[in-house]
Amino acid sequence: MYNNTRMLKVSNLRKDFATIRAVDGVSFEVGRGQIFGLLGRNGAGKTTTIRMVLNILQPDLGEILYNGNPFSEEVRNMVGYLPEERGLYQKSKLISTILYFAQLRGMDSVKATSEALQWLERFELLAYKDKKVDELSKGNQQKVQFICSIIHDPQLVILDEPFAGLDPVNQILFKDIFLELKQRNKAVIFSTHQMDQAERLSDEICLIDHGRVVLAGQVREVKKRYGSNSVHIEYAGDGTFLRSLPGVNNAMMYENSAEVQLEQTYSSQTFLSQIVGRLEITKFELREPSLQSIFIQTVGQTVGEKPAVPA
Amino acid sequence: MNKTLVVAKWEYLEKVRTKAFVIGLFLMPMIIALTSILPGLLAGKEDDATKVIGIVDASGERLDSSLTRRMEKYRLANGNPNYILRPIASGRNVDLAAACAEADDKILVDEIEGYVVIPSTILQDSVIEYRSQDAGDIRLASRLQSNLRTVLLEKKLAVKGLDPALAKILRAPFDVKTVKVSKSGAKEETDFMRTFLSAFIPLMMLFNLFITSGQLLVRSLLDEKSNRIVEVLVSSCKPVELMSGKLLGLCALGLTQIGFWALIAVAAMANFGSMSFPPANQLLLIMIYSVLGYLFYSAIFIALGSPVTTEQEAQQINSYLVLFLILPIALVMPIMLQPNALWVKVLSYIPIFTPTFMVLRLLIKIPSALEIVSTIILLVISTYVMMIAAGRIFRVAILATGKRPGVREVMRWVREG
Repeated sequence: MYNNTRMLKVSNLRKDFATIRAVDGVSFEVGRGQIFGLLGRNGAGKTTTIRMVLNILQPDLGEILYNGNPFSEEVRNMVGYLPEERGLYQKSKLISTILYFAQLRGMDSVKATSEALQWLERFELLAYKDKKVDELSKGNQQKVQFICSIIHDPQLVILDEPFAGLDPVNQILFKDIFLELKQRNKAVIFSTHQMDQAERLSDEICLIDHGRVVLAGQVREVKKRYGSNSVHIEYAGDGTFLRSLPGVNNAMMYENSAEVQLEQTYSSQTFLSQIVGRLEITKFELREPSLQSIFIQTVGQTVGEKPAVPA
Repeated sequence: MNKTLVVAKWEYLEKVRTKAFVIGLFLMPMIIALTSILPGLLAGKEDDATKVIGIVDASGERLDSSLTRRMEKYRLANGNPNYILRPIASGRNVDLAAACAEADDKILVDEIEGYVVIPSTILQDSVIEYRSQDAGDIRLASRLQSNLRTVLLEKKLAVKGLDPALAKILRAPFDVKTVKVSKSGAKEETDFMRTFLSAFIPLMMLFNLFITSGQLLVRSLLDEKSNRIVEVLVSSCKPVELMSGKLLGLCALGLTQIGFWALIAVAAMANFGSMSFPPANQLLLIMIYSVLGYLFYSAIFIALGSPVTTEQEAQQINSYLVLFLILPIALVMPIMLQPNALWVKVLSYIPIFTPTFMVLRLLIKIPSALEIVSTIILLVISTYVMMIAAGRIFRVAILATGKRPGVREVMRWVREG
């Protein structure tokens, strides 16, 4: 029975701030051993949702269940959190900062110390353990924060924009640890507006826009839903006319390549015949759309103000 | 470990290391030492070389020779005379202007330090002049004054046909000894300055303690808010655990400070013995008021400080509180003069003044038992209420960013909490 219960079940969350409805009827579930991508543009309501899951904010409406139970004090010790805004005590030592956050999550100091040293070694920060935080580079501070969010071996790890500001080498390091957490049967939620990352990492996604879920499901399934008639081309020449061709629903233009979404019944061969001769085509491929193009397609259509709270 | 204790330990260990705290620890006793001891030391500094002083006597009564005799009694530490008086002109027909001009020249070539002018009218108006480049030698001035008074008295007695030796009896010094009668019936000799200092210094220390810890508290809240550490904190523990942990840590910090100062005070007393220490029951009451005051002010600092979002606002709030806290210090003198005045009693019941006023009154004159009990009860109640209100404000305000909430909104948090 226990295993059938999902780690986190969020139903119908709502949160209003003054005149803005920041989150409006958001529901999703995250299971163990799953990486869950919470996607959306800046200000879509991702962080507010996360804060409610963490019990930092109280929802105006809706329910959050952890292993099938409502929030209790034990939940605090089984979640880990990396906030979007990077902040640490600048004048404190690395090791004591990590120990403080670990003990706040209920770890005893002996266990916390040995874990902290292991993590510092893994992140190549062991030499800095007695340095003050403000002597570290931004990227290294972010590593320390990451350690603080996972040191107590949480069941549920919530990372708000974990890759923002990281160099490629550290992005790989973070990603490896994500996958390890997944293998160790943890539930991982991360929010991002970088779709390529979400695509590579998540098992399931939930796209939020203007406080509402506009797209949700397994990445493969979502792509299949959108990808029945999608073409990827690489070419030389000016491809701006592609958008206005008949049968084209949507086109994502990149430097010398494009992702074109065709109407459901439109033949890709007809489309090809229309561009032959106008562009020097080096590659023409039928494939699933990227999350990026799905994102633009879904969110780009609903540009506008957030709905006001009904009186 | 209990999360409140985790927070308390962190707050204590991180703050006890800060420069601000360490400086405060040493600065306060140093300021007190400087303000209370230094002027005395400076004024009391002995001359280290003999001073040559000229004397112009136009009285015609040979006052200069008796004054010289008396002034030359003073010795330096090495046994040499402190002063040598050199007659410049003497007699009823002295040309004062010429004599003074001559003496002025001697000053300029450093032959004499200065000179005394005894005018012919001395027996009528008892005024002499001392002229020098350095008019600040208070010790010399008072010695001249005192000895001249004796010389004049002897002269006047002689004129009346009385024994000049009577002067010694008439000039015998007398002192008013003030004795503080305390409840226990024990009589304790005191003087005004001593009472003033023994009330003023502990009060300054309390003031410093309240202000330093308040500042530390507001600053750390502000830091945690602006870099959003607070989100991690309140997802890790209950806001009330966070707040009580902070208070506890701060309290420990305050006790460290008091303990350190007490050590210094004990050491100072062992060396100088100039300060009286209040008896144990009085000390206990002082501790009660101090701790309650500490909690009360901390709660105020939390209530006012947690909605703050910028450094400037934090400083503003701080300066308001300083105003309230500094009032009793400004009033030390009037309260000492009339510790039973109605206004003193009334102000003692206003919670924000209670701790400092009562500590001050305990040090000067013990208030009635009724007053002590009722102010403590009132203070306990108001501290409790303030804590609850602060907790409610804290819970909402630590997450608020952007514009500082208005008074009305903060009051709503308190009511709805």
